[in-house]
Amino acid sequence: MKKKYCMVIDSSVCIDCKACMVSCKVQHKVPRGFWRNWIKNSDPDFTLGKYTSMHFQPGGCMQCDNPTCVYACPSGATFKDDETGIIHVNEDLCIGCGNCVKACPYHARYRHPVKRVPDKCDFCRERLDMGLLPACVDTCPTKARNFGDRNDPDSDVSRLLREQETVRIVSRPVDTEPNMFYLSSTMPMDWPGPVEYPAAHQAMVGVVNPLVKVAVGLSGLGVAAMFLKQLFTSDEASHEEKKEEV
Amino acid sequence: MKDKLPPLSRRKFLKTSLAAAAVTAGAGTPLVKSLVPGAHASGSRPPKGDLTSHFTACDMCFNRCGMIARVRNGVIEKIDPNPKFLKSRGMICARGNAATNHIYDPDRLKYPLRRTGKRGEGKWERISWEEALDYTAEKMLEIGEKYTRCGMMFIPGSDMQSQLVHRFAEVYGSFNITSHETLCLLSKNRAYLDTIGEVPYPDVFYSKYILIAGANPFEAIITPDTMDFFEARKNGCKIIVLDPRFTKTAAMADEWYQIKPGTDMAFFLALCHVIVKEELYDRDGCCPKMTYGFDEFFLHIQQYTPEWAQEECGIPSEDIIRIAREISAAAPSAMVYPGRRTSDYKDSTQIRRAMAITNALLNNFDKPGGLLALREVGVKTPYYDVPWYDDNPFDRVEAGLVPGLIDHEGSFQLMREAIISGEPYPIKGWFNFKTNFMQTAANRNKTLEMIDHLDFIVNIDIAMTDTAWYSDVVLPGASFLERKDPVSALQGSSACACAVLRDPVVPEMFESRSPFWICQELSKRMGFGDSFDFTMDEYRQKQLDGLDGALEAMLNDGVYYNPSQVYGIYSGSPLKTLSGVKEIFNQRYARSGVDPMPVYRKRRMPGENEFRLVVGRTAFFTHSNTNLELLTEFMEENVLNMHPEPAQNMGLKDGDLVEVKSQVGSGRLRLELTQGIEKQTVYMATGFGALSPQMSLVHNRGASIAEVLEDYHDEISGNMAMHETLVTVRKVA
Ligand code: SF4
Ligand code: SF4
Ligand code: SF4
Repeated sequence: MKKKYCMVIDSSVCIDCKACMVSCKVQHKVPRGFWRNWIKNSDPDFTLGKYTSMHFQPGGCMQCDNPTCVYACPSGATFKDDETGIIHVNEDLCIGCGNCVKACPYHARYRHPVKRVPDKCDFCRERLDMGLLPACVDTCPTKARNFGDRNDPDSDVSRLLREQETVRIVSRPVDTEPNMFYLSSTMPMDWPGPVEYPAAHQAMVGVVNPLVKVAVGLSGLGVAAMFLKQLFTSDEASHEEKKEEV
Repeated sequence: MKDKLPPLSRRKFLKTSLAAAAVTAGAGTPLVKSLVPGAHASGSRPPKGDLTSHFTACDMCFNRCGMIARVRNGVIEKIDPNPKFLKSRGMICARGNAATNHIYDPDRLKYPLRRTGKRGEGKWERISWEEALDYTAEKMLEIGEKYTRCGMMFIPGSDMQSQLVHRFAEVYGSFNITSHETLCLLSKNRAYLDTIGEVPYPDVFYSKYILIAGANPFEAIITPDTMDFFEARKNGCKIIVLDPRFTKTAAMADEWYQIKPGTDMAFFLALCHVIVKEELYDRDGCCPKMTYGFDEFFLHIQQYTPEWAQEECGIPSEDIIRIAREISAAAPSAMVYPGRRTSDYKDSTQIRRAMAITNALLNNFDKPGGLLALREVGVKTPYYDVPWYDDNPFDRVEAGLVPGLIDHEGSFQLMREAIISGEPYPIKGWFNFKTNFMQTAANRNKTLEMIDHLDFIVNIDIAMTDTAWYSDVVLPGASFLERKDPVSALQGSSACACAVLRDPVVPEMFESRSPFWICQELSKRMGFGDSFDFTMDEYRQKQLDGLDGALEAMLNDGVYYNPSQVYGIYSGSPLKTLSGVKEIFNQRYARSGVDPMPVYRKRRMPGENEFRLVVGRTAFFTHSNTNLELLTEFMEENVLNMHPEPAQNMGLKDGDLVEVKSQVGSGRLRLELTQGIEKQTVYMATGFGALSPQMSLVHNRGASIAEVLEDYHDEISGNMAMHETLVTVRKVA
């Protein structure tokens, strides 16, 4: 059966210990200065006195059902795996244009400085193949991060989604339909940025079904434009790419 | 492959994890530069070689969480939690995850070194192990000869091999052994020993009401408490935090009170006042029957009203009264969290006594959700002969300086004084394993002064710490992932009395050696090789004598549980106190001229333009073990936290480089303003401003707590008092 992997996060128990971030970093050898996952935090309101509190919010790629990164990818390298629901990057097809990085409203992607292709959370697919949980979920002290298959009614995540109220964080312009759910409430909510499609590409996204694009391969107009862009993208340009703050 | 994916339930995946198959993913750029064989070769090709899994126990801090190390081609790629390890609740913290960084740290010591220049000058020669051991043995014998065997100070660390280093010290013939714990929690241990006869474990999991004062368990992660707070909370437990700082523990508590630092005792005495006055204690099960000195206490605390306490500690009296009522209502499944790192003030033991007495009134000892008695795990300490040296002095060098020194632990700080003064007798050597007192003990200048009085310092560690940097011989220790270690018994909460051991996950790197081997080799050279003439397997066998199946369990699951009694261990039998019941009034204190019940005394408070310096930790560093690339990414140097109001008065801005100065030293670091700190308090984290250039990531970055803290000690236990220091702060032009 097809799977629909998702993460259900109880951010009320996240203690901002960063274990998930280090675990992920070791697992995927993510270079210094970059992250596949993160913890955001709310600002404490000290006027509340003894009730002053803080909320820590774990995050990572939301494995969206309406993935703007996939739509922005001119080469079909970024795709949603039909079998698992995970958004992957096929590094061999990637032309390194960086469109997907800008198109993700969650800043979930970064450009790998050595491989020069986008990198992001893939729910640790190689661990899943071994029957292990994603590294961040496995290591989390308070089990804030829960992971599993939504299509399996007996999974922990299905149960949580059934029994508890959840919220999703969506960007203002586009509902990306994320597969990252937060139990009851979470903070902060206002961090997703704009979805930036490259101008040359935008027209095309409007008319062409993203799946068609894969079939079209590299022959599309938008793709050609992206090729040019890639050629002119210098090293410095890559520094502008948003890296996640911790 | 994907079709066969088992359900990813936490319980089931251990099996699959141990039958780990080869992975298909590409490996990116390795983080570890030069040390991992073949690290550069991977590119984006799938890694070759099978992944194997090995149980071990973490040693990045003292918790010893259960780990599974994933190894490919002899290289540890990843550390995962051992889901069968109840004490750590199947988790590994950020530090544990960085263990790969620890073992493959480019700054690791590689071979024995001998100092050639002046101490701290950084001139070293590489020597062979043979030379290093001969030289060390010769020096130790020389000191023993000239100054008696007690002329050597031993600090055996807090590691799974520390018991062997301890044994080594004793068979060498010195009882001047002290520990990291004298900078940490001896005052708490003292207080509970003197109140209930034992150092208890908090049963956080089943608790309904927890009062945390000073401790910061969500950042200074302690297993299983840190996780259990949340389990308890799911079941309706209320968590109250008193802290001058808005820590993450404070941030996640139900209520947080920004108490004036150093006034906790006032709060707890007032809490007791309410509990006693309103008769909220358990009249039949506890007071006055099962306590000693309840009547005296009744009179003693009349003066400590909530209104009085409000003046002292800044917490509204209504809140004190309400908390007293709430916590008593939840008793006995309620507690004042005993905490760790309780070495804060000159009257630390008395502060912890006030907390222990509150716990006594809650009648929570040996009960679910309260404080638990030590359980038998059954791991034995193999017997050994301690030699008698006629010329040895009668007692430890710091004996009698404080009334409540803890045997076998002593007091580093008082020992340091004795070494400097040479009284009552000289100590001229220091054998150090895996502690870094140059970075953790208050008044670094005094530690340097102490070092000037020493003829010989030998240090076993895996990195050139500040303490190693000032040593004469530096021996590269094997990391916990490379060693065969004795069995360790662990406790914590009701769920876990367990035993663990370690077998090497990968071979020793470079010329590093385990402390066990080093002690064996030195023993041979010093003529007491007999005392160390055993293998680790033989030693373990003796430890596990009578524990059938324990070794197998540890090899199969990475942990052995002893299903011994959890609650009611003392039901019907007397406590290990003089009176056999809870001593609210301590008789021994009375006899030795110590306040038998905690008496509140005002302490020195910061004057105008002065601040109290408090220190602490984050969730991603252990003490001074900060030199890890993976972790400095979260914090490259420490900062000084200050409230914006005093900063504004002094014309200081966020980000200014400031000098923080005490009577004994000063440090420079950046200012970070936050409303989450009491106005007359400043805070900095431990582990920065290293002197040793071989701690390359933290050398000269930020400031070291050791250089600024003044050296006060707890007047009962001799524990270091870390929060008595008052400092001035000024902008560095
Ligand atoms: S979070 Fe960003 S990278 Fe992940 S699927 Fe959604 S749009 Fe793509
Ligand atoms: S490991 Fe868990 S508790 Fe720690 S920061 Fe990540 S999500 Fe939060
Ligand atoms: S708490 Fe962290 S550092 Fe300490 S033993 Fe556990 S995993 Fe290791």
